Amino acid sequence: MAIAIAVNGVSMEYKTPKGTTHVLDNVSYEVQDGHFVSIVGPSGVGKTTLLRLLTGLAQPTAGEILVRGKRISSSPDDLAVVLQDYTRSLMPWLSVEKNIALPLKNQKLTKAERKERITASLAEVGLEGAESKYPWQLSGGMQQRVSIARALAVRPSILVMDEPFASVDAQTRFDLEDLVLKVRDDFGITTLMVTHDIDEAVYLSDEIVVLQGKPAKVRDVVKVDIPFPRSQMETRNDARFADLRTHVYGMVRGLE
Amino acid sequence: MRLLNSRIIRFLVGIWLPILLIWWWWTWSADSVDPFFPPLSAIWEQFKFNWIWQYVPIHVFPSLRNLFAGYFIGIFAGVTLGALLGANPRVSRYFEPVIDFLRSIPPVATVPVFILFFGLDAQMRIAAVAVAACFPTLLSTMQGFRATDPTLLDTGKVFRLTPFQMMWKVRVPNASPIIWSGLQVSLQIAFVVTIASEILGSGFGIGAFTTISIDSFMILDAWTGVVLLGLLGFALNVIFDLVERWSLRWYIGQKKLAS
Repeated sequence: MAIAIAVNGVSMEYKTPKGTTHVLDNVSYEVQDGHFVSIVGPSGVGKTTLLRLLTGLAQPTAGEILVRGKRISSSPDDLAVVLQDYTRSLMPWLSVEKNIALPLKNQKLTKAERKERITASLAEVGLEGAESKYPWQLSGGMQQRVSIARALAVRPSILVMDEPFASVDAQTRFDLEDLVLKVRDDFGITTLMVTHDIDEAVYLSDEIVVLQGKPAKVRDVVKVDIPFPRSQMETRNDARFADLRTHVYGMVRGLE
Repeated sequence: MRLLNSRIIRFLVGIWLPILLIWWWWTWSADSVDPFFPPLSAIWEQFKFNWIWQYVPIHVFPSLRNLFAGYFIGIFAGVTLGALLGANPRVSRYFEPVIDFLRSIPPVATVPVFILFFGLDAQMRIAAVAVAACFPTLLSTMQGFRATDPTLLDTGKVFRLTPFQMMWKVRVPNASPIIWSGLQVSLQIAFVVTIASEILGSGFGIGAFTTISIDSFMILDAWTGVVLLGLLGFALNVIFDLVERWSLRWYIGQKKLAS
């Protein structure tokens, strides 16, 4: 299988008035095409820093990140992002439709094609007919669905999510997790998710990258050998699920 | 229906005091023989004679032209400069002392300086209005731009928005509630400077008409000028409010929902 994202020996340092903060140290791993990969680690370990590097929002001090073999220096074309804080990442002055349309304006699409993409993306996330609503008229879970629809509308081959379900209630969270799995199935999108929720990482992923230490290194890459399709009721009761979450939790906590 | 009712009630609450004041002025001044305080009924008769529509072309039109030309030039410059400076805090530090100094000069006091540069033409008046109108908008735009949420900018970057889209679809709308408050102050100042600039060396404009009337003891005419200015200022504010509310309907809706 082809490699969608390659992280090669990436280190990141921040210069502060107090000196240099070393956040990431020689982080390397590869994401296979079509895989769902989660990045977990204790809070403050540098997960968000890594995500900023992956999306081209920041440049590493050493090493390189390749997206489909090409070294990235700004946000790659082929990649779309869902951020944690939907209230700050959706534009409150634009309707749902215009929020989704904004990134599409720079793709060579006719008006009809654009319209068609918006309708299809909203249908994919179960928000048919919400076009003319403002984001703030929707519930938190629905707003995050709009974020996902906006990302899908650009037809990316890679979806990057930063703690996408951290700001919604537990019920909505399960719904959105299953939505993300469905999206992955429907489009075969390579998905990379940063999360602090280990259960969620195990439930969704093919592979889990565990970051540990200061500066953070890759502690381990755990293969989640639970077959798809997964279900909230059965998978979470699976003995293998419990084993894996205990294993990952131990590593995140530095107990293993 | 409830919405309609509440609107009617709000209108009635707002209108009773003005009606009372006008009625009081009307009856109080009815028998006045004081040449400086003529009866309101006489002012009203003269008002109709002057302003519907005899003097409108020679006095109201020049005032409105100077006001709008100056105002739009001023706020355009204010938003543009404010956006540039607000988006580049390091650059803006060099300009802030100068801006703070210039905006502290009472705008009306700068009119004689503009006469030195532009003479007594309409250009002088428009320039004075433009400069006075620029500062409140400039400052509020700078402030609005500085407060841009980094998440919003990151979102724009990861979706590869062009610099133009970043400016007009993200940063300007994000700052627009603060920009609008600057635009309103600019309008009020622009109105004051428009009228004040006409007091010096002009035969045309509402300000000129009122001053000349006073100087030639046409007290009734002067009163109609004052009344007209009041009505005009009020009308401008009402129109401004409507435009602002339409433009910020997303912001107002959001606030209403949150409260």
